[in-house]
Amino acid sequence: MQYYSQLMQLLVSYQYELNRYISTTIRSLNDENSLSTSLLILGIAFIYGLVHAIGPGHGKALVALYFTSNKSNYKKAFKMGYSIAIIHAISALIFTFSIFFILKTMFRQNFNQLSDIAMQISAVMIISVGLYLIYEAFKSKNEKEKILIKSQKSETAVAFSAGVVPCPGVMTIVLFCIVLGHYTLGILAAIAMSIGMGLTISLAGIFSIALNKKAGGFMEGRTYILEMIGGGLILLLGLFLLMGSL
Amino acid sequence: MKKYLIYFIFTISLLAHPHTFIDVYLTINVKDGKTNSINFKWKIDEMTSTMLIMDVDSDGNGKISSKENRFIKNNYFTVFEDYNFYTYIKVDGKVIPFPKTKNFKATIENHRVCYSFDIEGDFNMKKTVIEVGDTDFYVAMMLKQEFLNISGAKAIATGVDNDFYYGYKVEFK
Repeated sequence: MQYYSQLMQLLVSYQYELNRYISTTIRSLNDENSLSTSLLILGIAFIYGLVHAIGPGHGKALVALYFTSNKSNYKKAFKMGYSIAIIHAISALIFTFSIFFILKTMFRQNFNQLSDIAMQISAVMIISVGLYLIYEAFKSKNEKEKILIKSQKSETAVAFSAGVVPCPGVMTIVLFCIVLGHYTLGILAAIAMSIGMGLTISLAGIFSIALNKKAGGFMEGRTYILEMIGGGLILLLGLFLLMGSL
Repeated sequence: MKKYLIYFIFTISLLAHPHTFIDVYLTINVKDGKTNSINFKWKIDEMTSTMLIMDVDSDGNGKISSKENRFIKNNYFTVFEDYNFYTYIKVDGKVIPFPKTKNFKATIENHRVCYSFDIEGDFNMKKTVIEVGDTDFYVAMMLKQEFLNISGAKAIATGVDNDFYYGYKVEFK
């Protein structure tokens, strides 16, 4: 646990520096240096997203749980990691722009309230995904002989349920850009950041698939047990998130 | 199975990452190893400050009036009571109840919102350790050596590394 804590401390100090660097760089943006500075900002946003997503979050927990309990391949992990990151960023963009332009005032109060609602929706969706996976596992236990092809549906559901909560990190950067009048840069920074986050989330998925492959040997023929445990844990994660946001 | 468990605990043990960074500046005048008052100054990161300024600087003049100061205190500052102000004062190794905050003043400095406040009490500095950190991991409290303004004693700021929580601590010599 000590190493984990040290790693987190290191990640926080990196984010602290990046956060400062990105805000001073965005503020220094003017007509003369716009192209080079904008590119620099997008570069930092990418790294910020990458580091931001290494910290603990429910997206990675869900992806990791899903892939440790369901047979899959690396390509799918990338696809899901990026689906989550893109939905996460789009949700943040929609939230930020609509709050900013429609509600304008009392941004923070609305921000907190809406984030809570989004978190509750996400939690309920995650619970449903957990229940669905348990159901699927039961089904595959009863139909052991047949090879079940997992429907694409569950993967889309996983991506959507995790991604729908807008990323506060993205929202903060987008809002900062909007306030300073750099609308396009705000959108591009959100995209750059989500590319970074997508990479990290995908790696969490890949790591889980690797674990699954290793464990596959002794679980041969009984993978439904793993799937049930995974579904159960996803269900718990959803309940945990729901309780936290109520 | 152990691997799964460890990985599971790792990923969900802390469900958020820091989105707000606060630099904690401490000003203490120590006399004969003691002090009656400790001043905290929180400097909130520029991006979070931007959001705050939108809400709190109602006349948009870039300064905090006394009316705005009251608004911030009631709506944005007292909520930190529930989080013990992310500050743990230990005397002889035991955490004491956080004293009532006094003289709250919000300012805007270099685009950053700052909260200054005092706590009062009889502090024997050699027995006192001040720790800052957010157990929920949402706010990153940063307390570096250069943020210390201590007269009459030597103070050292270092990182604290507890199991699911970390932050900084200041010890006095």
